Amino acid sequence: MSERAAESPILDVRGLKVSIAGPPELQIVRGVDLAVRAGEVHALMGPNGSGKSTLASAIAGSPAYLVDEGQVLLHGEDVTALAADERARRGLFLSFQYPTAIPGVTMVNLLRASLKARRGTEPSAREFLAELRETLATLKMDESFARRYVNDGFSGGEKKRAEILQLGMLKPTLAILDETDSGLDVDALRTVAEGVNALRSPEIGILIITHYERILNYVTPDFVHVLVDGRIVRSGDVSLAKRIEAEGYDPILRAIGEGATPVAAATGGE
Amino acid sequence: MAGREAPEASSAAAVAAHPYGERQAVDAARGDAEPGWLVDRRVEGARAFAATAMPTPALRPWRYTDVSSLAIEDHVPHPPALTVRAELPEGAYAGTIADALASRGEVVRSHLGSLVASTEGRFVAANAARWNAGVLVHLPRGSAVERPIVVELSGPEVAEGASAALLPRILVVAEERSEATVVLRLRSGDAPLLVPSVAEVVCGDHAVVRLLLDGGWGARTREFTTLRARLARGATVDVATVAIGGRIVKQTLESLIEGEGAHSDFRGVALGDHDQHFDFVTLQDHLGPRTTSNVEIKAALAGASRSIYYGVTRVEETAAGAAAEQENRNLLLSRRAKADSDPVLEILTSEVIRCGHGAAVGPVDRDALFYLQSRGLDERTALKLLVAGFFEPVARRIPLEGLPEELAATVHAKLEAADLS
Ligand SMILES: Nc1ncnc2c1ncn2[C@@H]1O[C@H](COP(=O)(O)OP(=O)(O)OP(=O)(O)O)[C@@H](O)[C@H]1O
Ligand SMILES: [Mg+2]
Repeated sequence: MSERAAESPILDVRGLKVSIAGPPELQIVRGVDLAVRAGEVHALMGPNGSGKSTLASAIAGSPAYLVDEGQVLLHGEDVTALAADERARRGLFLSFQYPTAIPGVTMVNLLRASLKARRGTEPSAREFLAELRETLATLKMDESFARRYVNDGFSGGEKKRAEILQLGMLKPTLAILDETDSGLDVDALRTVAEGVNALRSPEIGILIITHYERILNYVTPDFVHVLVDGRIVRSGDVSLAKRIEAEGYDPILRAIGEGATPVAAATGGE
Repeated sequence: MAGREAPEASSAAAVAAHPYGERQAVDAARGDAEPGWLVDRRVEGARAFAATAMPTPALRPWRYTDVSSLAIEDHVPHPPALTVRAELPEGAYAGTIADALASRGEVVRSHLGSLVASTEGRFVAANAARWNAGVLVHLPRGSAVERPIVVELSGPEVAEGASAALLPRILVVAEERSEATVVLRLRSGDAPLLVPSVAEVVCGDHAVVRLLLDGGWGARTREFTTLRARLARGATVDVATVAIGGRIVKQTLESLIEGEGAHSDFRGVALGDHDQHFDFVTLQDHLGPRTTSNVEIKAALAGASRSIYYGVTRVEETAAGAAAEQENRNLLLSRRAKADSDPVLEILTSEVIRCGHGAAVGPVDRDALFYLQSRGLDERTALKLLVAGFFEPVARRIPLEGLPEELAATVHAKLEAADLS
């Protein structure tokens, strides 16, 4: 790792503005600055439709979105122009809010191919199986799960666990978890949280997008940010999450004078 | 002919000028010491060839495959490399028709041409006149062949002079309660090759025949196949076709589902690139009561390749309680790839249990592609996985061990260089 990479944040989002590829083109993320350093856990909260998933997708390199302005840096390297796979190979992992079903492709196929892509060499069958078994066991998942087609017919909770299974196997340096805690029962939530905690290390940055303070009881964030209408309007520590849990977003919305303005109506003027 | 006028050909000379004429057919058959009845069949074929015209796009099954500029007669039958490997129980036979003529002449005589008449069309007629890769699988009553019978058929590696023709003739006669799996490995080199092919599958009561057409043709091979199966009571035919190679692969797959409770299954996958052209025509003709059938054909198309599907599910008045499914899906991997899909239902009885048909033509699911790329797979690798996954459910239902893995490997190899733009 270069000198610069060592001291730069793992993720550095600078002045990012993102539109839907359209038509119609609509700016959803309207100027976000966010730095996640090694060892840190950040939580991103915000009302429905405020642009959290759009921000996550844009950071991951989704071709469905256009970056109008700003940069995304990973380990100090500007990756704004790189495809999603190149970002993933540099250590980024996105746990999707709505994971896509891929009929015909088994979890095993996916994991093998991902590991090969991530490491540059195919893991040996034995090595792979051992790793898979161990990760499945940590997540209290049945082995038959790995033989199923990716997210195909999975329950909501199973989909989230499948994301964590991949997270555990791929061992990224930047993990973005988009509502991975939603739709999980109490036990599953604890398991997933343990999975995240197991990943937590001084080398890794984690960004948790969530609506609930629940998960933050297990994985204590260093910072909490609130995204409203495509902008981070508040940043603080975990007490901010607790306040939102208790009072909702209304006090924040009133303070910034946004009221209940819908996202769509407020765009276009940038 | 540079600088010189071609001599006027008399009509007799014109007949003699191509290999599918009566005299050529007779000479070839006599040269191979074929019995008189077979020589007569070949003569019938030659006459049918002379009497039939090439199909035109005006005929529905030929709408998208224009062969008007193709002259079968310019293609000289070329002796193929043909091997048959089988572990057979006592009484069963798997080998060339030529070898079978002495010991099982009667089986060949009574079934050859019983399902596909030489007068049906020009490719079929050419085959009847000059088939040169004859394979017979004969399963007497109760005979069960456990391991797949493997037929390897290869066209010539290099063409010398005129373009070559390879004319496979497959005859499977499965008597009552017999069972076998037949794998046809079809291969050819880079030279132009025409393959007018005919397969007939006769299934007796409760017989089970599985047939895999593994099409690994060279880039300039043009295949025109007519396959027809006839099913007696409780019989099952499972035909799977894997179309990977070839310039044109046109297969007409038909099942006459006559016996009560008989079942017909056609599964196909095609993977195209460059200017490859696949054309599948299916007929599931339900004649007997409580008969069932399934057709599932999937094509993934790169480059400027093209796939055509036209299939008819016909449920006759006599087929009360029949159930049929028919599905064709096409995945377009490049902007120039093209697919036409036309599944047709003709239901003539009111007592049908279930009859479904579906057709789809579309590009790769962008969300699925992004999902895989977000896991580190570059676009091509992701597409390989998606295409292998697209085929997987079909491959898994083809009852041949190892086929899904074999197909996945083929997909990965072919898509490595395919035009996905
Ligand atoms: N591809 C798209 N096409 C049309 N609208 C989109 C698209 N992607 C996002 N949007 C719109 O952008 C806005 C932000 O969506 P986004 O999914 O980022 O919100 P979110 O903060 O993740 O919401 P939630 O909490 O409900 O998950 C919404 O109004 C959404 O409808
Ligand atoms: Mg969201």
